[in-house]
Amino acid sequence: MRLRTPFAILASALLCAAALPAEVTLQDLLDDPRVGADWLNYHGGYAGHRHSLLDQIDRSNVESLRLEWAFQERISEKFEVTPLVHEGIMYITVPPGDVYALDAETGARLWRYSRRLPSKLIACCGLVNRGLAILGDRLFMATLDAYTIALDSKTGRLLWETQLIDYSLGYSGTHAPLVVKDMVMVGTAGGEYGIRGFIDAFDVETGERRWRFYTVPGPGEFGRETWAGDSWKTGGASIWITPSYDPELDLVYWGVGNPGPDWNGDVRLGDNLFSDSVVALEADTGTRRWHFQFTPHDVHDWDATQVMVLLDKEYRGVERKLLVTANRNGFIYLLDRQTGEFLRATQFVKQTWAVGISEDGRPIRRPGMEPSAEGIEVFPTVAGGTNWMSPAYSPDTGMLYVSCREGSSMYYKGDTEYRPGTRYWGSMFVNEPTMHNWWGAVRAFDPISADLIWEHKLFQPAWAGLLSTAGGLVFAGTSDGFFKALDSGSGEELWRINVGGTVQASPMTFEVAGRQMVAVAAGGSLFAFALP
Amino acid sequence: MRNLLNLAALLALPVLLTAARTHETNPMSSAEDFAEGRRLYRIHCGVCHGMDGNTGRGARLARRSYRHGDSDAEMFDLIEGGVPGTDMPGVWLEEDDIWRILLFVRTFAAKAGESCVAGQGDVAAGERLFSGQGSCLACHTVGPAGGRLGPDMSFAGEMFTPDQIRRALLEPAADVADRYRTVRLVTAGGERVEGVVLNENSYRIYIMDRAENLRAFDKGKLQSLETPTESLMPAYGNLLTEAQIEHLVAYLCTLREDRREGGTE
Ligand code: HEC
Ligand code: HEC
Repeated sequence: MRLRTPFAILASALLCAAALPAEVTLQDLLDDPRVGADWLNYHGGYAGHRHSLLDQIDRSNVESLRLEWAFQERISEKFEVTPLVHEGIMYITVPPGDVYALDAETGARLWRYSRRLPSKLIACCGLVNRGLAILGDRLFMATLDAYTIALDSKTGRLLWETQLIDYSLGYSGTHAPLVVKDMVMVGTAGGEYGIRGFIDAFDVETGERRWRFYTVPGPGEFGRETWAGDSWKTGGASIWITPSYDPELDLVYWGVGNPGPDWNGDVRLGDNLFSDSVVALEADTGTRRWHFQFTPHDVHDWDATQVMVLLDKEYRGVERKLLVTANRNGFIYLLDRQTGEFLRATQFVKQTWAVGISEDGRPIRRPGMEPSAEGIEVFPTVAGGTNWMSPAYSPDTGMLYVSCREGSSMYYKGDTEYRPGTRYWGSMFVNEPTMHNWWGAVRAFDPISADLIWEHKLFQPAWAGLLSTAGGLVFAGTSDGFFKALDSGSGEELWRINVGGTVQASPMTFEVAGRQMVAVAAGGSLFAFALP
Repeated sequence: MRNLLNLAALLALPVLLTAARTHETNPMSSAEDFAEGRRLYRIHCGVCHGMDGNTGRGARLARRSYRHGDSDAEMFDLIEGGVPGTDMPGVWLEEDDIWRILLFVRTFAAKAGESCVAGQGDVAAGERLFSGQGSCLACHTVGPAGGRLGPDMSFAGEMFTPDQIRRALLEPAADVADRYRTVRLVTAGGERVEGVVLNENSYRIYIMDRAENLRAFDKGKLQSLETPTESLMPAYGNLLTEAQIEHLVAYLCTLREDRREGGTE
């Protein structure tokens, strides 16, 4: 019997009178999600698998899955959170700046924290937030006014707040932070505003800054020469998705956003490191161990802010520490995560910008596919072959599941001038003329060969991530308002419900009072499902 | 253009419930006005300022002095008109109702002009009592330290008058905020639990117990459930001397936001 509810605290308190309030330990974070009942990190674990060992809900009974509770707020923003659950309490962020603790069993509220935000926030794509990090009795959040804050997980009281940088220059915080050891790490969003991106690590106790890594190198730093002139000062390269972490190598893997201005590269000639790259940083110092750039000198807005999935598997007969990621530019990449060595790249959606990827991992560009004054149609769309929504990896099936986006956009190029805190785009993209040919799919790949194993077609490209469970299921949300369960082995749809609003978040699962629940944000609500 | 608009406003006046202010000071004072003000505040303001005036995305109202002005008239105009360019929206209510809201808002803080000052008390002695003999720190936080059962005291100097602090210490039951309602229950298994209520609905009650655990109880399965009007905070009349209470008042009066500003950042 696994007691993990508030009642469990009661039970243990009865057994030993001096029971300490259960706090999240570093070991819990390392174990998660192997322990199963809790969900303690945005990805459900450091390796970025979004896979749970819970198997109460499985292929044979999922058809009777039903709504257990719903949480609603006055939300007019996109609701992108992945909840955390610990010992029967769920923690969520609600846009633009609220945090709630809920009874995970019933959805009832225990406390709320509301951040006092300035009225003129600057965020390209909605006043969103994707969630929290937890350690001990503390929650951590990156805020839209560019702070990292720590809250007491029992009361929601603010314990410390440390400013990343002045938000009015176009910076913000939107991703769920990552806790590593006694540090909480956060990067800044704002890639559409001519920011100079960076990643900070803070002491969890005091909020004091331990280190900073600039995602755009400055004078004297490695990679500075990949930016013409002064363009590094406004190079973008934002961070807006939670990194993965390998505790053994002690490396944190950050997907970095697009260079700025987005669609006009003339003012920033060069490769523009570390935009559209993965950078592997040493946890204690923030020192770069290696980097790999997916799209050098990007002019299509193809941030590499997709989830870095860490796998230990055989590659060409040798057991290796691997990193696999389906990139916005339309290719799935396989890297050695110890060295950064490029192993292979395989196209996974229709794309027309590259002829292929060369031996060293650099794209071979198809001429004439850059944005122009008249506009040019390029596959995939500006949102990419996939985006920030989480993929999932199941150790049971050995498959990597990816929410894929098929279609094209019209890309335009124009002049641009940097003015602090305003859009720094270099023109625009237009979707209307091409949207009729858009569609989506949940696809299962062999992560090593990138061979397609199955496909489940979606009416529209989705903005929802995937969750894999030991029950043999993959949960997926859709843009037309459905939440569904697929057979992880075949892709067959086994269950669905109309949640009445676009799913723009990645689902998660947990166990409370002996029951497995699956939770997902959709529209302005959060839904929790369980078996009767 | 402006004249036209004014004319339109004039013509529309008789049928609109506008709140042209006809008083300089708050004409409302009765208990009924207060209750109605509280109700209206809950509807129109609580979501941003919190029912305690101290939580939420609006400005902190639990303070003695306001940035936008402290007089009744200034506050009326602010509540009616909002603060342009910020989230503070303003309300569309009749004049009397806005005065009623203000009557309630005033209870968050001491009246402007009256100040929380040390008096005869000794600040250092008060600080020692707070964490020592008085064991206040077991239930209240100041900055990062302290217990979670009672409200945060980090800004006590802006939230209370000396009299309010004295009263809180001598008769804590006299005014218990919603968020700190006491609950006492006995579970089916006979366990006695005491704490403060975090939330309650038809089926469950959620509390923070004395050991600061967040717990949920099915109301139908309890042997008994009481929500007495007492406070979890002990009455200090018999526990501390009058002089000691004055020391505490003196200390709490020094806890202010500006004190924190010199801090970690
Ligand atoms: C949508 C959120 C919101 C609502 C609803 C709201 N407020 Fe505010 N209020 C704010 C914000 C934000 C500020 C800070 C404005 C500024 O930056 O000057 C504020 C400021 C104030 C101030 C000035 C504080 C000072 O220090 O000067 C008062 C008084 C006030 N509000 C009272 C009220 C009352 C009474 C109501 C209900 C009738 C109300 N507010 C409703 C958000 C709100
Ligand atoms: C056992 C826990 C406990 C202890 C010990 C305790 N308090 Fe409290 N206190 C509370 C609770 C709960 C409340 C809220 C309910 C109420 O207003 O009575 C409160 C309320 C207060 C208030 C009024 C807050 C308001 O918003 O009106 C003040 C002032 C205060 N306490 C000061 C003190 C001081 C000074 C001490 C030490 C001498 C102390 N408390 C000791 C639990 C405690």
